[in-house]
Amino acid sequence: MSNDVVVDIKGLAKHFGDRVVFDNVSLAVHKSEVVAIIGPSGVGKSTLIRCVNHLHPFNAGTIDVLGYHLQGDVAPSKPMLRELRSRVGMVFQTFNLFPHLTVLDNIILGPIEVKRLPRAQVTERAMDLLAMMGLQQRAQMYPKRLSGGEQQRVAICRALAMEPEIMLFDEPTSMLDPELVGEVLEAIRRLAKQGMTMLLVTHEMMFAKDVADTVVVMADHTVAERGPARQVLESPQTERARAFLRRVLNPGLSSDGARRQRGGV
Amino acid sequence: MIALWRQYLPQFFQGVGVTLELTALSLLVALLFGFLLALARLSGWRGLVLGATVYTEVIRAIPVLVLLFLAYYSLAQAGIKLSGMTAAVVTLGGFYATLYGEIFRGAILGVDRGQSEAALALGMNRRTVMRKIVLPQAFFTILPPATNQLSNLIKDTSLVFTVGVTDLMFQAYAASSATFQPMDMLLLAGIVYFVFYLVLSKFLTRWELNVQRRRG
Repeated sequence: MSNDVVVDIKGLAKHFGDRVVFDNVSLAVHKSEVVAIIGPSGVGKSTLIRCVNHLHPFNAGTIDVLGYHLQGDVAPSKPMLRELRSRVGMVFQTFNLFPHLTVLDNIILGPIEVKRLPRAQVTERAMDLLAMMGLQQRAQMYPKRLSGGEQQRVAICRALAMEPEIMLFDEPTSMLDPELVGEVLEAIRRLAKQGMTMLLVTHEMMFAKDVADTVVVMADHTVAERGPARQVLESPQTERARAFLRRVLNPGLSSDGARRQRGGV
Repeated sequence: MIALWRQYLPQFFQGVGVTLELTALSLLVALLFGFLLALARLSGWRGLVLGATVYTEVIRAIPVLVLLFLAYYSLAQAGIKLSGMTAAVVTLGGFYATLYGEIFRGAILGVDRGQSEAALALGMNRRTVMRKIVLPQAFFTILPPATNQLSNLIKDTSLVFTVGVTDLMFQAYAASSATFQPMDMLLLAGIVYFVFYLVLSKFLTRWELNVQRRRG
């Protein structure tokens, strides 16, 4: 972790009509920092990280990402936005692999179309990424043939092929069968070790404690608490963070907590 | 009957040629114009959306024969004289464009939002997202209803004999007037239309299956 702030969110607010998703959210992410965002369902965690690459517009506040400036209720210029997105990778809860393309073509499409790199060069890099994930044998298959865990690891390769400086993970393991969660988390853990800057929305508390430098607890439409991962998860300071963690860490007391909990703590 | 059929076969073949040409041209117009209508309705620009919506709702509610007569007779009265063939292509193309437009629009909207999000998140522009991600996936939603409409289009080309285009129906009608055997001649025309449809739909279905199998 260094002192350069690469994502600087200030006073962010998002609402759909009358419904406030979140309000007054501020968060600074440093280079090589891993930030895990946790909190109850529907509190706007996914919406928040989707604001970082402007997949969701927001209503007020500012986000500075790698020097690009996004402002509430102002449409960013399209070339600027494309440049920003080409430097910020995203992995989705539902994988969103392109079903009409092979695994390899999924991975090389971005670099070819966006960065205009030669196919041979991109293919070589894609095969290296697949090898790193132990998926070389899957290169010529279509996504539908792969398990959920394999699909999500391909999705990570697809994002990494763009050589991003920041990675956004939107609940990357929520759609996976329990036995497949580990392989995806392992891939993310390896990225963290390599010094990738990451913003990660997750329900895996153990994983957050283990891999994240910083944990952000969102509750009641804003950031309830943020701090070093271990400190926030083991001795939360605010009542809202305590209430959420109590529910999550003691499944059985609440059906919501039980459903969300995986792996146990 | 067979002897009569043999005698009129050359005319029939000529008619078949005209029907095929008319179908191909009308389909081309309908596909291109229909695609533009779909894009216009999806563009979000108020004027375009309104124009395309009004055109679609009005045109598809009018019988093809009425449209054909409007294009051929009424436009001629207004000083725009179209040949029978041109009027036919304009009418069939313009009418089927509304149907294809709706098929395209529905299929494009039917592609999961996550697909374009994933592509946009990689930094692609909207055009590339449409070309590389959305349209290839919409294609297989489009194919079955588009095949259906094509078979309707083939059959509707038979209306153009009313404006003097010498298509298959025209030849069948002429032959039945000359031979006083309307039953036999129209039956032959019916068989030819049916064979068209059969060959075409078999071909398209096989193609669709092939690609679907390849994608696992």
